[in-house]
Amino acid sequence: MGVVLRNLQKVVSLRRARLRRDVDTLRHILGVHKFDVGIVCVDNQKIQQINHTYRKKNVPTDVLSFPFYEDLRPGKLPCPLHRDELNLGDIFLGVEFVMKQCQEESLDLHDALTVVTAHGICHLLGYRHETEEEWTEMLQRESYILTEYNRLTGRHLQPLMKTCDHDR
Amino acid sequence: MLNNNGASSGYRPQLFSSRVWNPSVSCGCGGLHTEGDKAFGDFLSDEIKEEQKIQKTKTLPKMSGGWELGLNGTEAKLTRHFAGDKISVTFNVNNSIPPSFEEEAEQGQQKSAAAAEEEPEMVSSPNFVVEVTKQGAKHSLVFDCHYPEDEMSHGEGEEESDIFAIREVSFQPEGDDEWKETSYTLGTDSLDWALYDHLMDFLADRGVDNTFADELMELSTAIEHQEYIKFLENLQGFVKCN
Repeated sequence: MGVVLRNLQKVVSLRRARLRRDVDTLRHILGVHKFDVGIVCVDNQKIQQINHTYRKKNVPTDVLSFPFYEDLRPGKLPCPLHRDELNLGDIFLGVEFVMKQCQEESLDLHDALTVVTAHGICHLLGYRHETEEEWTEMLQRESYILTEYNRLTGRHLQPLMKTCDHDR
Repeated sequence: MLNNNGASSGYRPQLFSSRVWNPSVSCGCGGLHTEGDKAFGDFLSDEIKEEQKIQKTKTLPKMSGGWELGLNGTEAKLTRHFAGDKISVTFNVNNSIPPSFEEEAEQGQQKSAAAAEEEPEMVSSPNFVVEVTKQGAKHSLVFDCHYPEDEMSHGEGEEESDIFAIREVSFQPEGDDEWKETSYTLGTDSLDWALYDHLMDFLADRGVDNTFADELMELSTAIEHQEYIKFLENLQGFVKCN
């Protein structure tokens, strides 16, 4: 199946083909193109509800990841035994939240969505940013992914994690 | 041998009698009116009043994006022009309200009185056909679209489906109402998802996106309700013989 893309919101006008192509590029860079990934685009209300339900944080956010493999060591790919285990999990993109940030900082929406999706995929692969060491490790991985992405596409994307925070 | 040629002059009891049994209400129209009809008419009168009470507005909601609405009974057609392309969207409000999946209360559990009284709002989500016609072209690109019935959305899980989805795509002769079965029809069940996304982006560029789909549901719900009230009024007139 590859990338299962769902657009459940109507606030932001999305280019589905562009989003899929960008997520596919990220999957190839990470060598996880054999794994399915769910990308679900939602508005502020929905992501706030999910954030509240699963993280007890009653605020909207840009990205929430739900890994299929919950105890992966960062950087180690899962070893699935069956076809239905070729799945990394789901990433909920708060596209309304991201759009507002883009408007404030005059950024391209789909560039920003690529950056937050890279962050989300890192979480699906076991990366965390609870501690300083984890943050450094995840930042390095995100930097590598986006450097490769920039090399392949000619764009100039920067990692999401400029500072160590625990909000995502 | 029994005489069955109908020439017998003797009385023969009939199972079905054509004789009207005691009509108790009459209006002089020559038609049949029973006590049951009267009760039915009174019921309809109350029902119409109730429906008119919950009718949000007599006028239909407007679609944003410059769509023009044309109605032919239960069929609605929205049209707009976009840089030389003519886009039309047709749908029929008949059978457009999906059945309620309200789960029955588990044994031993009783709903609160308030919850029991609260009826789910009826929402019409019809299949709709989008037709894109280029200037001077003999064929239109036709998209058969629908609102996926998401089983998950009826339970506690997260909703998983897009607001609307394309089911089939085909080229059809321009202005032809009949679906030509001999035209190649692209099903989306096993389609390359990149192609599917381009088709969705193509529709979005022409004003058929999630906002449109949401407004179409609102419009369809209003038309359906209007038609329902009209039907009840016709039924009442028919039963009561005004």
